[in-house]
Amino acid sequence: MSARISASLVVNDSGEIACMSCGHALGPSGQPWKNAATLSETPLQGAAGEPYSNAANVLLRKFYCPSCATLLDSESALEEDPFLNDVVHI
Amino acid sequence: MGNSASQSYVVATDVGGTCTDTIVFSPGEPLYLGKALSTPPNFAEGVMNSIRSAADTMGLSFAELFARTSLFVHGSTVVDNTLLTRDGARTGLLTTEGFEDTLLITRGAYGRWGGLSEDGIKHPVATDRAEPLVPGERIQGLPERVDYKGAILRALDVEATEKAVRHLVEDKGVEALAVCLLWSFYNTAHERAVRDVIERVAPGTYVSLSSDIAPVPGEYERTSTTVINAYAGNIAAAYLNNLQELLTAEGYSGPLLVMQGYGGLLPAKEAAGRAVGMIECGPAAGVIGSRYLGHVMDDGDVIAADMGGTTFKVGVIQGGEFDYAREPMVDRFHYVAPKIEVISIGAGGGSIISLDPRTKVPSVGPRSAGARPGPICYGQGGEEPTLTDVMILVGYMNPENFLGGSITLDIERARTIFKEKIADPLGLGVEEAAIGIYRIAAAQITDLIHEITVERGLDPRDFVLHAFGGSCPLVCGIFGAELNVKRIVIPYTASVNCAFGLVSADIVHEYSVTKTLPVPSAAEEINAIYAPMLENAQAQLAAEGFDESGTAFDWSIDLRYGRQVHEVTTPVRGETPVSEESLAALVDDFEALYERKYGKGSAYRAAGMEMTMFRLTARGLMKRPEIEKLALGGKDASAAKTGRRPIFVEAAGELVESDIYDFERLTPGNEITGPAVIHTPITTIVLQDKQTGHLDEYRNMVIHFT
Amino acid sequence: MDPITFSIIRHRLYRVIDEAVITLKHVSGSAITNEGHDLMVSLYRADGSLLMGGVGFLHHLTSAAEACKSIIRRFEGRIDEGDVFLTNCPYTAALHTSDVYLVAPIHYDGKLVAWSACFVHVYDIGAMVPGGFSPDSRDIFTEGFSSPGLKLVEQGEMNHDIMDTLLNMVRAPEMVALDLSSMIASNNVARERMVALVHKYGPEAVDQACQMLVDQSEESFRERLRELPDGRWESRQYFDIEDETYRVLLAMTKKDDTLTFDFTGSSEQSKYGINCAYWAAWGGFFAPLFPLLCYDITWNDGVLRPISMIAPEGTIVNCTRPAPISLATVGAIQSVNNAACICISKMLSASEKYAKEATAVWHGSHFAIFMFGQNQKGQEAIGIMTETFGGAGGGRSFADGVDVGGEIPNPIGRMANVETTENHFPVRYLFRRATIDSGGPGKYRGGTGLEYAIQQHDSPDGGIHYVVSGKGTKFSMSDGLGGGYPGAPCNYRWVHNNEAAAEGKNVNPFATSTEQMTGEQESVSWGVYPLMDQDVLYVRSDGGGGYGDPLAREPERLARDVRHGSVSAGVARRVYGVVLDAAGEVDTAASEAAREAIRAARLSQAAAE
Repeated sequence: MSARISASLVVNDSGEIACMSCGHALGPSGQPWKNAATLSETPLQGAAGEPYSNAANVLLRKFYCPSCATLLDSESALEEDPFLNDVVHI
Repeated sequence: MGNSASQSYVVATDVGGTCTDTIVFSPGEPLYLGKALSTPPNFAEGVMNSIRSAADTMGLSFAELFARTSLFVHGSTVVDNTLLTRDGARTGLLTTEGFEDTLLITRGAYGRWGGLSEDGIKHPVATDRAEPLVPGERIQGLPERVDYKGAILRALDVEATEKAVRHLVEDKGVEALAVCLLWSFYNTAHERAVRDVIERVAPGTYVSLSSDIAPVPGEYERTSTTVINAYAGNIAAAYLNNLQELLTAEGYSGPLLVMQGYGGLLPAKEAAGRAVGMIECGPAAGVIGSRYLGHVMDDGDVIAADMGGTTFKVGVIQGGEFDYAREPMVDRFHYVAPKIEVISIGAGGGSIISLDPRTKVPSVGPRSAGARPGPICYGQGGEEPTLTDVMILVGYMNPENFLGGSITLDIERARTIFKEKIADPLGLGVEEAAIGIYRIAAAQITDLIHEITVERGLDPRDFVLHAFGGSCPLVCGIFGAELNVKRIVIPYTASVNCAFGLVSADIVHEYSVTKTLPVPSAAEEINAIYAPMLENAQAQLAAEGFDESGTAFDWSIDLRYGRQVHEVTTPVRGETPVSEESLAALVDDFEALYERKYGKGSAYRAAGMEMTMFRLTARGLMKRPEIEKLALGGKDASAAKTGRRPIFVEAAGELVESDIYDFERLTPGNEITGPAVIHTPITTIVLQDKQTGHLDEYRNMVIHFT
Repeated sequence: MDPITFSIIRHRLYRVIDEAVITLKHVSGSAITNEGHDLMVSLYRADGSLLMGGVGFLHHLTSAAEACKSIIRRFEGRIDEGDVFLTNCPYTAALHTSDVYLVAPIHYDGKLVAWSACFVHVYDIGAMVPGGFSPDSRDIFTEGFSSPGLKLVEQGEMNHDIMDTLLNMVRAPEMVALDLSSMIASNNVARERMVALVHKYGPEAVDQACQMLVDQSEESFRERLRELPDGRWESRQYFDIEDETYRVLLAMTKKDDTLTFDFTGSSEQSKYGINCAYWAAWGGFFAPLFPLLCYDITWNDGVLRPISMIAPEGTIVNCTRPAPISLATVGAIQSVNNAACICISKMLSASEKYAKEATAVWHGSHFAIFMFGQNQKGQEAIGIMTETFGGAGGGRSFADGVDVGGEIPNPIGRMANVETTENHFPVRYLFRRATIDSGGPGKYRGGTGLEYAIQQHDSPDGGIHYVVSGKGTKFSMSDGLGGGYPGAPCNYRWVHNNEAAAEGKNVNPFATSTEQMTGEQESVSWGVYPLMDQDVLYVRSDGGGGYGDPLAREPERLARDVRHGSVSAGVARRVYGVVLDAAGEVDTAASEAAREAIRAARLSQAAAE
């Protein structure tokens, strides 16, 4: 039985963090998982419609499932800043 | 009007959510009552059933009744119902270009939290706005602009208007159009021009202008009101026309007057064009009825309380006057038609008793079991304990003789389920738990009444309490005592209170002019504002058949302190047109009213005062029903005593064996000393310890505190 | 205590606060109090701990508790029946000098039984700039009157020396006097009702009920925390002031039935007044905590007990005196709100049962624009532009954020009607609407925010001035959740129509969009600016954060969004992968292809980066 740990991730029977949509495993539960995701880092400016056009040099990081390309998480970031890491203890 | 020399009846029918009530009165005769179930969505059917039920008690046929009827007065929830069921016209909206979103963005979160209880407000993630009555694609902005002085900055582009109207009507299938332009109440020219365009380009479209319907500042509320009016307009008009036809077919040839939310009547033709005016006319009628009864009994200060199956409603009459609601809502929509202030909570006979799953703290309502399945004891499949079930467990209801014996109440079933769901989890005995719940309900009601009195600067000890509705007389002995009111009156007409209000109302036309004038201003300037309103009003009432002696004109002016948001509608006392003296008195009255309402020290004079709205209330005075006055007999009520059984007595804190009476066997003058229970055909009256019930000459039960 | 009596007393305690709030609004009569609902009234126990928090501006519930406690410490032995104390010092408990706390003891039979406290954002506090937000202040000494605690009313008698001194230091003293009167009246009502309640039920019973209320809240909250998984969630808020970029970092840890908010790593305190002090940070994260985690629990000290905070001294979330602080409520406190909203929502998202309570950030920037000047009636007018209370809802797990739907820390705010503002200020709106494409994309998108434009109208001085203390222009502060994009950032522009007119260009006085404006559009965000003649101030508020993957949004919803003007067809196609046909209906085949292409690009393009 898998237990959800976020809006897009579960922990599967093997104790791995997995994509809720397709089950692709991203790493052991209780550890940061973002390095195992497919990362796209593009300027927030231009990420969506016209109202985003005055965003400065901030990036929108998008973390996709490497298997089904579902967007698992996103964060605003200045280039030099580390990933935000969430850890859930199931 | 009527062709009988001997009788001239007035028939009044009020359509409520559950029941349609009728009163027939004629001078010298007792009031005849009729009742039938309401029949949405074709309410007219229930109306005719209700009238027939009254006719039956009179031993008359429809034809016979209507042949002698000179006036038919009506109140209906048809507009409220249209909004609730979202059954109105396909409506479009024309606004000032650049402000098309006004209706949709509802001044921000206002439309999202408006109408929610505190529990709802504390839980924002679970809240949403109501679906708007007009979606964005049926809103068009018009090139035009008027400013805060009413000056035209940009003339209306007629061609663009035509294009917009065609688009809405032809491409979007719009049947009704609301028009609300910025500052239109100061300068109506553009809205009228828009109406001309609509009549030319899309004749037959129902049109509502904000400058007609709600000429007051605040474009969001004004737009919302105009939209509601357009949305429900045709339905209200069709309903009234249909009703008129049905009545005519049965031989009635007189006028049809329609109750408005501000407590006055309008002729059907005018009411048909003002659907928004009919909203909440039922509770308004209730307050009017209460005011009239108070007048008959020489009480100018009345708290009018109505407790039905689902809600407890209360309105206040002070010196014969009542307040208008400040930010009225219908369903989850804001609007600005004048509406008598009535506040409510979800506490009625059908209110469901529940325990918080974690803390076990009990609540009464707001969910209701309604009429179906209803309370457990009704035996219609109700599984959840309600306040009515609690009443039977504390001994107030007679299981064998409910509603005149038509229903036998299943007390055992109520007891079993109540024990399981409420008493046991609370760790209390059934009786103890029932008493506790009853007390909680009474406390909630006390708090509600406190809100509309003490919080408005009024002292309940100065008031008489009128108790209406099926459930109120069961509880009023407790909350009336706690509030320390002067006395309690359970009116003889309690079961048809709203219909009674219909026959106690006048034809009332409300006029207003929005304009800001400093205080002091010259009397002539103010009189000049009133002159055209008066002319219109006089012409209107004359056309409705009133001569001068049958009319009354009340002036009132909204004032506020400079840079404060609160305005107080202040009646102009004394003679009109106004003079310097009466204006000075007006200012004094305003200040007193302001302090009363907003608290000591709130009156801030240094910022100066302004007058912001000039109102004229024009009445066509209607004959009031004479309530039959019977001879007062002796105090001995023993002939009405039917037995004894244990009932909850607050002072004792437990059930105590007490006398039970049958209302029908009481005669005027009889006195009953509490604790006691009096069963009537439509309700049950509970007298607590140190309370004496006295049947007066009108057959009202008046409860005195001893 | 039996549950029946408890139920009744609890209900009546709520009414005490309701009545006090009504009194506050009634006596005040000001727009910021009555429309913006920028106020709070709450009840506290005899020791100053929160008994019952009302629905006002939620940051203040806990800082007012600290205000009570600081008054108790400072005035020990000198607290008498009928006293009313004032404190507005941000280094004591207040959030900034404009938010003045009036705190009053409630005595029964000579014994102290409770406290009531309220605040309003006063009309002016004598800072460098009218209205109280001073972008140019470099220390607390130019931010107006500030007191760590004084006795304004002594046993029912107004201390006129103090009142006169305070009013001597502020602009529009008559309006400030009314603000203070309203708070005194509010406390009076709270005291009267509370005394009546104690009189009716007896001091022991009421005390017992109050204790039960607090204990129940603690039990209920701890139980809920235990239902949620243990974990540590991170959030980061950027905000921009001029050339500086600030970070508020939050790591929220839940272990068993305790919750810790750790702001270590947040920026050093700023020379601008966007810092907040310790108690403001403490209050700041309760603003989302109460409604997200405790929506069915009474908001009191019981909820505070499982919580702890780490806020390193000298950072923007725990600045040291005399750092400037007047913009705290639109600065660091907002970031604390937003960061906490995300961390709490991430925790809720880790639970099947509570996932529906999670939300992306609503109106993250909560900027403030004040106007001041002579109005069309020749009066001195100062006031906030209430559009900030319009807000924008954050996307949720089951629904979009509500368009122009408000903000979490201010449960019953609303903005003024255009006509109300045009009546009090010498301005004319050119337009006011929801901004297309401002809601953060997601399976459930963020709510759209507001945009509007004003120019001066009938001003005796040719125009007015405005104070912008808006951040959230360079960064979006409305973070998304579960993949959802952040809402669009804010934008404020000074449109130089006067210059254009001087150059002989045609200026359209009825432009309904910035595209139709001729003057050069200069982005502004910080400082005091003129609004004269034909120049226009354009404001675009931020959108709400989105929830989830935009590719998971039901195509039909995009058709509706485009029809309603909330999302453009271009964004629908590019970001959501939904293609509409000429009639505005979903082209299913094209949409499937578009989404396939986006998915492919996600994986290959990212690999290429």
